[in-house]
Amino acid sequence: MRRTNRAVNRILLTIVGLAILGAGAALIAAGTLPGASDTWWAIGSNLTDQARSLAGNAPGPGPVRSWWLAAGIAVLLLAAALSAAWLASQGGGRTPRLAEESDGTHGRTVVDVGLISAAVHEALKGNKDVLSASVSAWESRSGTALRLRMQARKGTSPRELADTAEELVQGIDAWLGHPLPVLVRITSGARSRVSGSRRAR
Amino acid sequence: MKQDRRIRRMIRRETHSSRSVPSIVAASILLVTFLWLALESVLWLLKEQPLLASPAQLRQWLLDLPANTIPAGMTAAGVGLGILGLLVIGTAVGKGRRPRRALASHRMATVVDDDVIAAAVSSKTRLAAGLAPGQVTTTVGGQSVRVQVRPTSGVPLHLESITTALDAELAAYGLNRPVKRNVRVLNEGAVGQ
Repeated sequence: MRRTNRAVNRILLTIVGLAILGAGAALIAAGTLPGASDTWWAIGSNLTDQARSLAGNAPGPGPVRSWWLAAGIAVLLLAAALSAAWLASQGGGRTPRLAEESDGTHGRTVVDVGLISAAVHEALKGNKDVLSASVSAWESRSGTALRLRMQARKGTSPRELADTAEELVQGIDAWLGHPLPVLVRITSGARSRVSGSRRAR
Repeated sequence: MKQDRRIRRMIRRETHSSRSVPSIVAASILLVTFLWLALESVLWLLKEQPLLASPAQLRQWLLDLPANTIPAGMTAAGVGLGILGLLVIGTAVGKGRRPRRALASHRMATVVDDDVIAAAVSSKTRLAAGLAPGQVTTTVGGQSVRVQVRPTSGVPLHLESITTALDAELAAYGLNRPVKRNVRVLNEGAVGQ
């Protein structure tokens, strides 16, 4: 969940994959085709010669030698910054406050997730089918959303758990006065992520 | 209508992978590589000692690579890189489904792990057939629910009652992806249950 931009992830991963694939293809070509190593050398030295003549075009002061070299380093740093931005865009959006209402001059009312969490735990105390429950909130595109996670006892019908959750959510709705988007996750205890299919006795 | 769209979006995001793990790995590797290249370039410009290899050494190494490596080694490395690239493209373009499903629900988005469904189907089947724990195994995956029943030796099994109970249970879930039910009764029975 969270606020990860999934389209960006897919596009950037595709680009990275294509780059790796291209490098692999170049290596295969250099390894198998006769005369490919000569072509490799020719292309490589041609490129570096061009770069060298380009660097000589715009001499810079002192140790910088050429403005083109400085630009090259700037490009590398920019690429590093973009990678860092990609890294930072994963996840995020979790919030400790569920709802907030400003009351003009009288002040603000903030509803904490902890309040709902305590209420949910209290309501599920006697329920033997729910082994554990946790509540969190995150900022989604359409306002704050509530996430309720319930760990099911083995063999419990998910329908019954969903009905329990629906009752809880109705209670929360009545409490808060306006309905929040809610996601209910019903999970099994062992968080195994081994294979695509799930077996149970 | 707007509510519906919001719920559908939540379900979609919860049942499909965000590809954040491969993204984090790729972004970290790129970040380190670019920073290292920039640092080496600066050191080279200042005529300092290189950290690992100066840009000039790097260039020479790349140019000499086909001459210094045996062709088979180059090809093997290329095949390895190619497979890695295909895997990365696969995770990016593929569906990225997680082993979870959505249950029909009006007010909220409800997403259930496949193994919760499997355990519930097993216990329902067990109750319907009057079997002991361990005699029913259920596999939920893709678009099918496969139930494997091991009957008690000498006790006839009412397949009819099992399938009706199962159909009622699955219909009650109202899963977002329709599943095909498949009940298989093993020939070998369990003894002394």
